[in-house]
Amino acid sequence: MEKPQKTQEEQQSSPQMAAPDGGWGWVVVGSLFVSSALVFGLIRSLGVFFVEFVQYFGESAQAVSWITSIGLAMQQLMSPVSAAASNVYGARPVVMMGGFLSGLGFILASQATSLLHLYLTMGLISGLGWALIFTPTVASVMQYFTLRRSLAMGLGFTGVGLASFAFSPLFQYLVEAYAWRGALLVLGGLSFNMIACGALIRPLGKPKVVVKAENSTKLNKCSSLFSRICEGFELALLSHRGFLTYSVAITLFNAGYFIPYVHLVAHSRHIGFNEYQAAFVISVTGVADIVGRVASGWFSDLGRMRMQHMLVVWTGLLGLSLMLIPVAVVYSGLLVVSVVYGFCAGAMTPLAFAVVPEIVGMERMLGALGLLQLIESIGGLLGAPLSGWLKDYTGMYTLSFIAAGSFLVLGMLVTMTLPYFWSCTAPPPPSPPMKKSQDESIEDGLLKQTLSSNSVPEILCPLDDIPYSDKE
Amino acid sequence: MASFRHLILLLLYCDGMKTETTPSPQSDPVITTRKVVSKGQNQVTIQELAILKPQTIELSCYLTDIPNNPPYLTGYWTKDGKGIVNSEETVNRTNEQYILKKTFDILAKDLGNYSCIFKEIQTQVTFVLDVPVIKDKRDKPIVSYTGDSVVLACKLKQTPNTWNWYKANNTEKGLISVTANPLNYKIFINGNETKLTVLNLTEEDSGKYICSAEFDIKPSESYIELKVLSYIEPLKPFIAIVLEVIVLVTLIFLWEKCNKPQNDNISAGENELCSEQISKLTRDDSNGVENNTARQRKLEH
Repeated sequence: MEKPQKTQEEQQSSPQMAAPDGGWGWVVVGSLFVSSALVFGLIRSLGVFFVEFVQYFGESAQAVSWITSIGLAMQQLMSPVSAAASNVYGARPVVMMGGFLSGLGFILASQATSLLHLYLTMGLISGLGWALIFTPTVASVMQYFTLRRSLAMGLGFTGVGLASFAFSPLFQYLVEAYAWRGALLVLGGLSFNMIACGALIRPLGKPKVVVKAENSTKLNKCSSLFSRICEGFELALLSHRGFLTYSVAITLFNAGYFIPYVHLVAHSRHIGFNEYQAAFVISVTGVADIVGRVASGWFSDLGRMRMQHMLVVWTGLLGLSLMLIPVAVVYSGLLVVSVVYGFCAGAMTPLAFAVVPEIVGMERMLGALGLLQLIESIGGLLGAPLSGWLKDYTGMYTLSFIAAGSFLVLGMLVTMTLPYFWSCTAPPPPSPPMKKSQDESIEDGLLKQTLSSNSVPEILCPLDDIPYSDKE
Repeated sequence: MASFRHLILLLLYCDGMKTETTPSPQSDPVITTRKVVSKGQNQVTIQELAILKPQTIELSCYLTDIPNNPPYLTGYWTKDGKGIVNSEETVNRTNEQYILKKTFDILAKDLGNYSCIFKEIQTQVTFVLDVPVIKDKRDKPIVSYTGDSVVLACKLKQTPNTWNWYKANNTEKGLISVTANPLNYKIFINGNETKLTVLNLTEEDSGKYICSAEFDIKPSESYIELKVLSYIEPLKPFIAIVLEVIVLVTLIFLWEKCNKPQNDNISAGENELCSEQISKLTRDDSNGVENNTARQRKLEH
């Protein structure tokens, strides 16, 4: 019974928010694994149902594809709400509620008699559920880890890749055995498992807004509700230069990231490879993606390079490989480029999240995640139609791949303008100091600098330092 | 008067004679020709021909690029693998080509595989004469639920005279008539496609449904299997999964609560603040889980 002893030790040493970096943290990583599988892996495999919907409702494929668009849009738009709720109530109840809602959406969808019902149930309700699950779970994993944050994130996100492999045949079987209504019902039940995932997220400390409300007794009851909401949404972040820069960068990343997933198969068929070859390319890309996530997480935790530099490396390589895809006309060349693309795309994902606390601080990470998802959805909404239009206009996929690659390169350039990007040593607090920072005096100097330049008073900043210096 | 009657009788007789002397088939005096060109020797070529109505058809095999260019070849015809009597012919070479033709009268019983075979060079051309075959059949049964409705569809490239739907009960076919059962069936026919909608499904509606495209010569059939399930079927795995989730969640919370008293005991001498916070956390957790629905609604508004 080692685990309960460990949790007891951790809780003794951490009155507020500490990063255990192990122990129960790995259970939370497992929770992220299952959650990301049941959210994004599920979304990616819904194609099986679309064929059934087209046949049953007699609607066009485009009308049916709106279901996932609405679901994804809800997931990203409602992220700030989910982050705010977690700031107020803690991650656990929010994720459990999200699990319940996402399952409920599918159960109601199984009774649908029109496409509109599907939009409302699978789109709105489940989308809201997914939003309530994803952001707090990611934030919790990041709270649980500092030293091995990227590895934990990488491992957690492998759930998406593995689920895409496993769910397609599973959904096919469910549809054949129970028709789409029964299959949706069973999927709703499966989504309920995310309630259990939420239950696993043990809170590390009280939710931020609750702590602030308790600490500042000066505020009276009326304004405390409003300020609670404002702080829950972390609207002050919109004036933070680092955050704004990063949100622009990540919007550009998002614009280019998803395009190849949509177009790679069609492109392979277009230049003359048969169905099996095209499917093999996708599978190879998927495997490279999974490997990339874990490898990049592990490598970045070694601490050789700063996370922001690594992010630039991966996104630069990703942009380049995207632009090389149209050049590869030989099958082996296409395979090689696709492997590189898959690896870099996977490598980029954990870093894109793990770098957020470095920029805005552990304190505001949850709200930052929520706002980021909202802002990056613009990239997703613009990227896909643009590439589709480019393909229709030119008749080939070349331009759309080049556009995707250039979005990523642009995002990489924007990332290079992040504050403190060009310094080789520690990023500034209020983020946790990296292992490489040898000299504590440099840190103190930077701390004083940022404290004076920071417009938002960080009440808990001094308290923040205590657990981290303990770690050192 | 008598001569007039004689004249009419004579005319009728001649008319009858005329109909008798024209060769069968009854419908089309036009002969359709189909030709296939085969290059080289040791070739096997297969050509599918869709036959919609009884007709006279002339099948031609053209052979080119035969090595050594022999002055003549012998070829014969087979139907479904069996040689046709008196079909063997000697084909002379004309302009580097060897042409073998034969005319066939095709009725329903005459549909099959017709081949012209050249023994010396082992070349064979097969014409597959059949009614149009309904493709894109689902080999898995269509599943639906009691009380729901389902659409079964058949499609062809050619347009038949009409479509008929049958329900197969063991070995017999029962024609589905919309006028007899307007509440249960709807048939939609649009040229080369047809859809059968079965409403108010019950378990007896399960089985094999046959769509039949009626052509002059012979109907072309395809079957679709329908399986009607009751709602209990998918409920079984669903309830199993929900029970599993409930068990998991209960276990997780129980395990956490069980560890808390341990913590309290061990850390009795330690921070009082710690144990206070721990008990506050458990209270917060249980409060959160119970009241979150109400709060959530408030927050979202």
